[in-house]
This record gives sequence, C-alpha cells and structure tokens, in this order.
Amino acid sequence: MSFDKKFNRRDLLKTSAAVGAAGVTTLAMPSVLRAAEPDKPSELIIRAWGGPWVEALKKGVSDPFTEKTGIRIKHDLTEDNEIQPKVWAAVAQNRTPPIHINWDTTTNATKSALRGVCEDLSDLSNIAGTTDLAKPVGVDGYPIVNTYGYVYVLAYRPSAFPDGAPKSYHDLLADKFQGRVAFYNDGIGFHFPAQVAGGGKLEDIPGNMAACWEFVEKMKAQNPLLGEDPDFVTWFQKGEIDAACTISTNALGAKKNGVDLAWTVPEEGAKFDTDGLWIPKGHSESDLYWAKEYINSALTKEAQQVWLDGLGLPGVVEGLTPPPGVPVPDPSYPTKPEDFDRLIRISGQVQVENESEWFSKFKQIMQG
Amino acid sequence: MNTSRTQSVIFWTIVTLSILTLSAPTLVVLGASFTSGNIIDFPPDGFSLKWYGEILGEQDLREAFGRSLIVACICVLVSLPTGTLAGIALAKYRVRAGSAIQTYLLLPFTIPLIGSGIGLMLFFGQAGVLGNLWPIGIATAVINLPFMIWAVSSSAASLDPDLELAALSCGAGPVQTFFNVTLPAVTPGVITGSLLMFILSLNEFLVSLLLVDARIVTLPVQIYNSIRSIITPDLAAVSVVFIAVATIAIIALDKLVGLEIFLKSK
Amino acid sequence: MRKYRTSYPISWRIMDVLEAAFASIWPKGGGKYTPYLMLAPAILLVGALVVGLLYIGDSSLRVLDRSTFLFSDHWTIENYKRAFSESFTLTVIWRSLLGAFIVTFFTLLLAFPYAYVMVRTSSSFLRKFLLIALFLPFFIGQVVRAYGWLIILGSQGIVNDALGLVGVEPIRLLFNYPAVLFGLIQYMLPFGVLMLAPAMTAIPEEVEAASGSLGANWIKTLWYVIIPMAKPGIIGAGLVVLTLSLTDFAMPAILGGGSQDFIANAIYDQFFRTSDQGFGSALTIILIGIGSMMVGLIFMVFGAGTLALGSEKK
Repeated sequence: MSFDKKFNRRDLLKTSAAVGAAGVTTLAMPSVLRAAEPDKPSELIIRAWGGPWVEALKKGVSDPFTEKTGIRIKHDLTEDNEIQPKVWAAVAQNRTPPIHINWDTTTNATKSALRGVCEDLSDLSNIAGTTDLAKPVGVDGYPIVNTYGYVYVLAYRPSAFPDGAPKSYHDLLADKFQGRVAFYNDGIGFHFPAQVAGGGKLEDIPGNMAACWEFVEKMKAQNPLLGEDPDFVTWFQKGEIDAACTISTNALGAKKNGVDLAWTVPEEGAKFDTDGLWIPKGHSESDLYWAKEYINSALTKEAQQVWLDGLGLPGVVEGLTPPPGVPVPDPSYPTKPEDFDRLIRISGQVQVENESEWFSKFKQIMQG
Repeated sequence: MNTSRTQSVIFWTIVTLSILTLSAPTLVVLGASFTSGNIIDFPPDGFSLKWYGEILGEQDLREAFGRSLIVACICVLVSLPTGTLAGIALAKYRVRAGSAIQTYLLLPFTIPLIGSGIGLMLFFGQAGVLGNLWPIGIATAVINLPFMIWAVSSSAASLDPDLELAALSCGAGPVQTFFNVTLPAVTPGVITGSLLMFILSLNEFLVSLLLVDARIVTLPVQIYNSIRSIITPDLAAVSVVFIAVATIAIIALDKLVGLEIFLKSK
Repeated sequence: MRKYRTSYPISWRIMDVLEAAFASIWPKGGGKYTPYLMLAPAILLVGALVVGLLYIGDSSLRVLDRSTFLFSDHWTIENYKRAFSESFTLTVIWRSLLGAFIVTFFTLLLAFPYAYVMVRTSSSFLRKFLLIALFLPFFIGQVVRAYGWLIILGSQGIVNDALGLVGVEPIRLLFNYPAVLFGLIQYMLPFGVLMLAPAMTAIPEEVEAASGSLGANWIKTLWYVIIPMAKPGIIGAGLVVLTLSLTDFAMPAILGGGSQDFIANAIYDQFFRTSDQGFGSALTIILIGIGSMMVGLIFMVFGAGTLALGSEKK
C-alpha cells in the first residue's frame, strides 16, 4: 500500500528539468509528429461538468482547440458517475463509446484504468512540461493525465462564526450547529480529517479507521444534511446550513453568485485530490489521434491559465497566476510546500480499493 | 343532484388542498422565472424577462425539445395499440394465469428505473441500435406501459358484452365490432392513458440518460444535467416555456377531439 | 366512379377489406386464443425489460474485484449474502416498504374525491382546470419542484416567514421522513387521480340517485355502491402508486436531506458511485422480488378477476 501524505513536494512542484524547455517549444505542435495528420473528425465529444465548470473548459481549452484545428467540440454534461457504466458497457460490447474524452475525478478514472478501458497517453509531448501532480499514482504509465488539484475545504457562513473561521471540525459539534452542517452523502472529503479529529493516525488508513468512525458517530448526533455539489450551494443560498465540507470550487461558485461565504482548511487538514482527462478505448485511429491532441493542448500554460481561472484551482504546469477571488497564500490553493503540509493526500489505489467500504460505513452510520 | 352538503364540503376541502399542494411549487417557480436577480427566489427579486432572453438564443434547448417531442410521439404510437389491446383483454376475458400475467405486466413499475435503464442500455447496445431516438421512444413506452393498460382496463367496466354480441348478430364482423362497439366504450381510458404516456415520455430523464449520447440529448436530460451545478433562474424559465407549450398542445387536443366528453360521467 | 358506388362509402369498403384480412389470418375457432393474442404485443414489449433483467440477474451473481474492477467469471451468491447481512440494507428495505404503504393510503384518500369531483362536476371549465392542475407539476421536473418546496417550506421559506410573524421560531419542515412521504404523495396524486377517473366515468350517476332514493345516506352510498363499482380503478391506482413509490429515488434523495434513503437510492449508489454493478444488481433483484410478491399478493387477495369485470358478468 503506498501512502503518500508526505509525498515529495519538491518533486511535485519541480518541472522535470530535463524536458522542461523542450516541452515549451513543442506546445503547439502535434505530439506524434508525422508526415501527414490523420483525417479530422467533424467533432469531438468531451464529457464535462455543467455550469461554471464547462464554461471554464470551453473558454480555456475547447474554443482555442476548435480555432486551431477546425474540429468542433461538443460537451456532454452527463455526471462523471453516470457516464461510467455507459462507457464501460460500450467498451465491453465493442461499441464506439459515447464520448471521446472523459473529464473525470482521478479516483473514478483510476477505476477505469484498472479495468483497462483507457487509452495510454504517455506519448503526449506536453506531459514533459508538467509537474508530478499530472502523473496518476498506482497505475502504470499515463492512462489518465491529471490536470489540476483541488481541496475539500470547510466552507462556512461568516455571520454564523462571529469569532472567526472554525479552527477544527470539533467546533461544528456545538449545539447551535444542530442540523446546520452538511457533508457529501458518501462522506467523501470528510473521512480523512475525521480520522485525525477522532484522534487516529493517517498512517493507519485504511487498516484502522476506528477513530474516523467514532468521530462520524459524534457528527451524526448533530443531524447533518447530506448532499451533492448543487445541494451545498442551494442550502447556503437558502440559509439551511452554516458550514459544509465541500470542494473549494463550489464555495467560490456560490460566492460568485452572491452568497456570503468563506472557507478554510481546519487544523485536522483537508483532503487534496486531482481531476484528469482520459480517452476510452474503441475509437478509430484518427479520432484517437485528435482526442490526444485535445488533451495535449489542455496541458499548455495558456490553456491551463484560462481554464483554471474559471475553476479557481492550482494547475499542473509551473508559473500560473492565481485566479481572482482565491485567497492566496492559502492551503486551499496549494502552491508552496508549507501549503501541502496542511493537506492530506491518499494514493488513488488505496482510495479505489477501499472507497466503497468507507462509503457504505459512512452511510450505515448516517442512515441509522 | 342528490349529493349531500357534508359530502360536498368534505370533498371540496380535500380537492382544494390537493390543488394547493400540486400547484404551489409550480407557481413559485413560475414567479421566480421573472426575477431580475441571479437566484431562484419567491417573491422574485424585481421583474425582468432577462432569463427568457437568455434561453431564447439557445439552439441546443430548441433542438433538445424537438427530440423530446419525437420521442414522446414514438412512445404513444407504440404504447397506444399495445396497451389498449392488453387492457381490453384483461378486462373482458377470464385469462388463465391472469395473476401471473398481470404481475408480469407490472414489471415496468416493480423494476426500479435505474435497473430498467441499465438493462435496456445493455439490450439496445447489444442490438447495436443506440444513438437513435426510436429506442428511447420504445424505452419510455415500456417503462410507462402499465399506465396505458390499467387506464384502459379500469374504464372497461362500461364494456357491455351484450352490446358486442348484438353487433355481431346483426352481421358486423369482429373488426367492425371492435372499432364501433368495443373501442368507443374504453375511449376515456385510451385518451387519459395516451395523454399520460405522452407527458411522461416528454419528461423522462433517468432511463433516457443512459440511452442518449451528446448528439441526441433530450430536453429533460439536458435540464437534469445542467441542474448538477448551480440552479439558476434560466431553468425556471425553461420550465415555464415547457409548460406553456404543453398547455397549448393540450388545448389544441381538446379543440380537436374534445377532452371533455371523455371524463364526463354519462 | 359509378353513381351506385356512392351508396357504399369508402369506409365500408375499407372495413370489408379489413374483415377479410382478419378472417384470413385469424385461425378458425380462434376465440379461445383471442385474449392471449391481444396480450401478446404488451408481453413482447415488456420482454425488452426482461432481457435487460437477464443481464442484471447475471451480474448479480458476480463479485467485483477491486484490483481490476472486473467481475468474477464464476457465479456466486456472495452479493445476496452481503445484502441480507448488512443492517443498512434491511433499514432501507423497511423504510421503503413502510413509506410505500403510507403513501398509497394517503394518495388514494386524496385522489378519490379529486377524481369524483372532476368526473361529476357539471362545469366543463372546472373539469379542464382540475385536469390541467394535475398535469402541470410534471413539467417542472422533480428537482426544480423540490427547489420550489425549499422556497416554500425551507428554514427561511414562505411558511416559516409567516410563522415568524406570529412569533414562532423557524422550524425544520424538510429533510426528514415525513417530508419525503409528503413529496411522494404530492408526486403520486396525479397518477392516482388519472387511474381512478376512467373507472369513475364508468359509474352511471343514476346508480347514486337510486341508492339515495332508497334511503342510503352519502356515506353508505359511497361505501356500498361507488367504491365497489370503482374497485378496478382503486386497485389499479393503488398498484401503480404502491410500486412507483417503492422504487422511487428522486424524492428521498432531494427531500430527505441525504439520511432517508430508499432501496432505489442504495441501488443508485452501487451502480453509479461505487461502480459495483454486481451488488447493485443483487439489490435490484431483491427489490423486484419484493415488489412482485406484493403485487401478486394483492391480485390474490382481491382476486385476479377484479380487473376482469366482463368475465364476472358472464
């Protein structure tokens, strides 16, 4: 089991020096330089999350790609969880998959990679210009390329915390927060800080998580609301909750929509994870070529800057300017080694192997 | 009229209560679509048509709506004859293993939609027909078929076997008897059933989600997917336009065939 | 066209052709098979679902290997064992079953008067208004509709604002079991009414008048005359509401605040969240088993013939 909270931050932040310069010069060129390019498809279908997510991708990656190649981009807004069985079934039945590229969480993508439905992306030229964050952990090669990181922050309504930001998840156990705290309905993002809050050690994950479940039991007594991304925004908007463990992008999105909201990384730390892009097997040679070109173009500095400005998240190439509205310096937008010290990162492999058990254990407690 | 006062009062109280709970969220959403603010709220924050302007320019939405109409038409074309025949058969004849057949015909409701969706995706996928609209039409027909069957069979109480016998003995053939005697007797059920099928098919998202791809997205799937981030008033506006179009369709249907007579007691 | 032909309209001629065609394909003395032939298309159509069920049944017997995310080659009943040993599964099964029965009871209670008034009123405007009020909610979709409820019943919603005016502290009306049941009843009501209405239209008004003139009060008339005559509709509506609420997933997900899952939510999680189609399929099969058993039981208790009125008359 590889456990890498203390993964080498220097490696993460350092651009692989040997290829760094080469990477920059090949940015705009096809990765597999051939005498003739394969036929262009009229369009590529990219799965994306809706709302501000797809708008950012369109502006940063899709539109420039269309401009350069003339290939139209269609965005499929099916949820990542819901596209997965569709893609798996298509590959199993030898059909052309419904999408060319999946913008996916690294954990979900790792499942697909283990199942063997992902094309290998190792030959993308721009990978050379990326930080170690781009490399998926626990799988061979590059079945996925990670494109940015994100943090499960503790978002809160400042008016409910007159003494300043909550310092710890223990603060949410106060009586006044009865029924006013929210988590993801499978507990994702909360398991690891809960392990710390319950007095356990991160090194014991996944072997011994008693501390985590003990703390989740305590939290259950608070009758928290459980939901998904859109629920948090809605609940904050409508004054149903005062605090939630959610991805900083949602908090930023809510803030942009006029909700009075702030977020913090509590003393227990916060889960850090990545999202990436991958191509399902079953496409024609030429479609595959152009889908790879799309991903390659998403790894350029120009594309990353625009795309991630929209998401408010740190990218996988060096020298990006933090987007407006994001508190910097802050571990919720990690750029420096000391930021990463405050974050918890568990390898994709440990997560995909144990996640189901964590989810069902969390549900068992919360549904009881 | 011999309806007692007490009965009227009780019934009308329940009906008023029902109408209130049925329409309250719709009215709130309807009102919210005219907001000039950025979130759905009631009473709306100022008045503007900006969200309608927003969706007017969206070609995607119009195309998706067109596809939904096609799907709903296919659904009715498939389910109307199928469900009507089955409904009459169940109501008119003593069928051997009737309980088993009826339990079987209720499978579309006892199978959770996710199960139906996954199963149909694998079935149509294996058959190599995914990517067309007609499998979605058939799928929405299958998962809602019990509505059609039971709407017809529950209206078949007015089916009089003596009348059919009379028609037959007067020299009418079985086909003529069916169209002139049997079918008119169950028409209320056929009309309510078809209307319900059409509307449910027009609004189906979960099974459709598994059967569409980005090129043939239907309107409910499009709405369902865009709700997954932030709910903005343009969705309220889409709903209102949807309601308006549907109301016009129902009124047109009413003018054409007269919904009225089918629900009125004789 | 000769003149004498006009006395023989085109529709008659079409009918003749149809009769001839029908006679040629219909087996002589096929009357015995008539109902089965009429049922055949529906049985075939539902067959598409049954084929899908075979896939699901197959994967319910395979276990997910989390190091490859592929399913075992051999069959095992491991998934079923797991389902029945986890207290979570039993909790959600019980919650769904109880909920389905409560929802069915209250939906019928509300739907009956609605259908009665809609069918019996002498005003055609009112009838159409009642009909349209039934259909409208479908068009805003369950998710947006739930958002509407949040505006009305939320902590800062219209109802709590009104209560605040008379000095009542905000109370949480949503995100609990009663809220889910309320949402389901509201969602099922149109189905209930629409299933009942055709049965009501089939009851002649004179029957009520007769009952009244024989001295029965309205409760007696309702209980001994209308309800028995509307029985096919009541059973039909009850079955529809019962099975649909048992398998619903949207209302518990949206109005339950995440802690009121029904079985369908657990199935959703397995298919879409933990990628365990095997376990999800096993839960699906269990749910179908429970649902079909209940349906079969209802047919047995109330008689398969309840819906087959014609056969009883003969």
